[in-house]
Amino acid sequence: MNDASAAAAAGHGRLALPTLFRPWAWRLSAGAAPYVLLAPAMLVLAGVLLYPLASLLALSFQHYGLRQLIAHSGEWVGLDNYTTVLRDGFFWKVVLRSTAFAAVNVALTMVVGTLMALLLERVHRPVRVLLTAGLVLVWATPVVVAVDLWQWMFDFEFGVMNWLLTHLGIGNYIHHNWFANPLEGFAVITVVVVWGALPFVVITLSAGLSQVPRDLIEAAEVDGANPLHVFWFVVAPILRPVFVILATLSTIWDFKVFDQVWIMLNQRPAADYFLLGIYSFSESFRVTQYGLGAALAVILVLLLAIATSGYVRHYLGRLEGEGA
Amino acid sequence: MRFKTLPVALFGALLAVAGCSSSAGNTPAQESGTLTVWLMNGSAPQSVVDGVNADFNAKHPNVKVDVQIQQWSDVTTKLDTAYAGSTPPDVVELGNTLVAKYAAAGALEDISGKKGSFEGSASWLQSLTESCTFGGKLYCVPYYAGSRAVIYRKDMFTAAGITNTPASTDELLTDGQKLMTANASDSNFSALYFPGKYWYAAAPFVWDFGGDIATQSGGQWKGSLDSSQAQQGLTSLKGIVDKLSRADKTGDELKQDQAFAQGHIAMIVANGWEVGVITDPKAGDPSLKDKLGVFPIPSHTAGKTAPVFLGGSDLGISAKSKMQGLAQEWVKLLAGVKFQTQMATVGQVIPNNTTLLDLNANNPLLGTFAAAAKNSRFVPNSPNWANVESANVLQDMLVSIFTGKQTIPAATSAASSQISTILNAKS
Repeated sequence: MNDASAAAAAGHGRLALPTLFRPWAWRLSAGAAPYVLLAPAMLVLAGVLLYPLASLLALSFQHYGLRQLIAHSGEWVGLDNYTTVLRDGFFWKVVLRSTAFAAVNVALTMVVGTLMALLLERVHRPVRVLLTAGLVLVWATPVVVAVDLWQWMFDFEFGVMNWLLTHLGIGNYIHHNWFANPLEGFAVITVVVVWGALPFVVITLSAGLSQVPRDLIEAAEVDGANPLHVFWFVVAPILRPVFVILATLSTIWDFKVFDQVWIMLNQRPAADYFLLGIYSFSESFRVTQYGLGAALAVILVLLLAIATSGYVRHYLGRLEGEGA
Repeated sequence: MRFKTLPVALFGALLAVAGCSSSAGNTPAQESGTLTVWLMNGSAPQSVVDGVNADFNAKHPNVKVDVQIQQWSDVTTKLDTAYAGSTPPDVVELGNTLVAKYAAAGALEDISGKKGSFEGSASWLQSLTESCTFGGKLYCVPYYAGSRAVIYRKDMFTAAGITNTPASTDELLTDGQKLMTANASDSNFSALYFPGKYWYAAAPFVWDFGGDIATQSGGQWKGSLDSSQAQQGLTSLKGIVDKLSRADKTGDELKQDQAFAQGHIAMIVANGWEVGVITDPKAGDPSLKDKLGVFPIPSHTAGKTAPVFLGGSDLGISAKSKMQGLAQEWVKLLAGVKFQTQMATVGQVIPNNTTLLDLNANNPLLGTFAAAAKNSRFVPNSPNWANVESANVLQDMLVSIFTGKQTIPAATSAASSQISTILNAKS
C-alpha cells in the first residue's frame, strides 16, 4: 500500500506541467501512470478494508473484554485466543457445519441457476420479460425485508406454509415448528439463501449464454449431438469462466451467511444454528470476548482464502494465458 | 472486531464536539445541552417519563432530555457499543441481572458517596440495592421490581368447572387438563401457554425443588442445574408443558400477551405490568379486563408457592458522562417518591421503596404480584452472569428439553458445564 501511495505521490510530481519539456520524464510518468490511476481506489480500499483488517488481526492477539473495550486498551496474550478456539470441539463442529452449508448452497445455486438461465433462453419473449422482472424484483428486495417475509411464511403460529401444507392435505402442519429440527431449519434457510442468490446467477449466466455462437451449436447438432451433449461439450466449456466466477462469489457469500440465520431466528439462534459468522459475532457482541471473536473472524477469512484459492488461481491463470 | 465500533466512536466524537458548550454555565438556567437517557421498552409509562422531564425542565429549561427506548433482545450489544464510544448515554436503565457486568467493567459511575442524596434511599428494596452493589460500592439506583405469577381467564376456569385456583403443581396439571378437555375443539388452545425459551418462568420449578442455577465456593462457580433437585423441577415442568401448552417450543415470551389477548389461552406466567398489555386497546383486548385473575405459581408442596425470580431494573449513570450532576438530578426524580408512586399506580410495577409497597395492596391483581415478590430468588451475582444470558445457555437447554432433542440429564449437564465455564471466565 505504501508503495502505491508513494508511487502516486511521485507520479503527481512528474506529471506537473514543466516535465512536459523533458522527454525522460515522459517515459517515467508513463511507467507511473497505472499507479497514479490506481491510487484513489487503493486509498479507499486501504481505508475501508486494510485498516479494519489490520485492527481485527491486532485484536485477535489480545484479551479484549468489556473492561478493555471501555478503557480502549487490550492485554496482549499472543496466540492464546487461537489455541482456545482451535482446541474447542464446538469450533470444529461449526467449521464442518459452515462448510457443508456452503457446499449445499453453492451447488444448489449453480444448478438451479443454470437450469433457469437455460429456460430463460428458450421461452417466448413475454414470458422471458416476466421472469426477468421477477428475478430483478427479488434482487431489489433488501435482505432484511426478504428474510422477514420468509420468517412470516414459516411462522409457527401464523405461517402461510403451515396453512398451505395442511390445506393441501400433505399432512397436519398446524403448529409445525420448522426450526425445532436444525436439519429442517437449515433447509428453510437454504431456500431463502438460494432464492436470494438466484437472480444474479441467472442474469449473469443468460448474458453469457447469449454470447455462445449459434453456428457452433448448429454444427454440433448436425453432427448428431443431443441437447445434453450440446450443453456439456459446447456451451459449458465456453461459459466456464463465468461458472468459475459465479461459483467463487457464491462460495464467499454462502460461507459467511449471517443475516438470513440471524433474522430468521429472532437474533437469538440456538447453538445448533451457529455458522462461522454467527459464532464470531456471538463471541464478540454477546459474550463480550472481542479478542476471541476477532480470532474466529480471522480464521473465517483464512478458510475463505483457502476455499476460493483454487478458483482464483484458475481465473488468474486464464487471464495470464489470454494476455500472453 | 473493533472496527465495528469505530463508526459509533466517531459519531460519538462528533457529538462530543457538537455538544461542547453543554453544562458550561453554573446556574441551572444557563446549563444547556442534551441529556441522553436510555429506558427499556415497557418500563415507564409515557406519562411518567413526560412528568419527570417536565419537572426536570422546570429547573433546567435549556437542557434537552432525549429519552430513547431500547429493546430487551439486543440491549447488551447496544450498551457495549455505546460504552466503547466516548459519549455513551448519560443515564441507562439496566436490567438488575446486567448491572454487575457493567459495574465490574468500569462503565458505571460509583455513586456510593451520594446515596444519601437520593430520596427514600434508606428504604430502597433490599434485593435491588444488592443488585446495584458491586465490590461494596453502589453503582446504580433501584428503579422498579417485578415478579411473576400466573394470569388466568376466570371465565374459562368457570366454564371448565374449576372453582379454586391451583394450590399445587399437581393441581395445576389436573386443572389444566380439565381446561384442555373443555376446549378440545379449539386446536390452538393452550391451558398454560409456555414458550420454550421462557427461562424466568421455568426457574421457579427448579428453585421449588431445592435446585439452583449455580453455586459458589472458594471463589469458583459451579453450574448446578444437573443436580437431582433441579432435574426434578424440570421434569415436573416438562410434564406440564407437554400436556398443557401449544406454544412454540423454541419461541420466546415476548409476544405472549398479544397471544393471550386473542382468546385461545387460559393461563400465562407473567409480570404484573403485562395485565396492562393484555387489556391495552391497541395491543390487546380491553374487554378481558374483568375476566382476568392472578394466582401465585404453586409449589409441589400443596398450599405453598414456588420461589420466583425477582426481576427489575436499576438506573445507572455512565462513568463517561460529561453531565454527572444533571444525570443524577434526572435519576433522583424518576427514582423519587412522586414518580415511584406513579410507577406503582400507572405503571403497575413494584416500586423501588418499601414504604410504597402497599399502594397496590387493595388491587386484587397487582396485590398478588407484590405478595409473590416476598418469596423471591435472584441469579448468581457475578459480572459474567450477563454472558450466560446473552449466550442463551438456559434458553437453549429448555428448548432441548421441551423438544425432546436431549434428555433432561444430558441437557442439564451440558448447560451446567457451560455455566461453570462462563461464570469462571476472566472477564
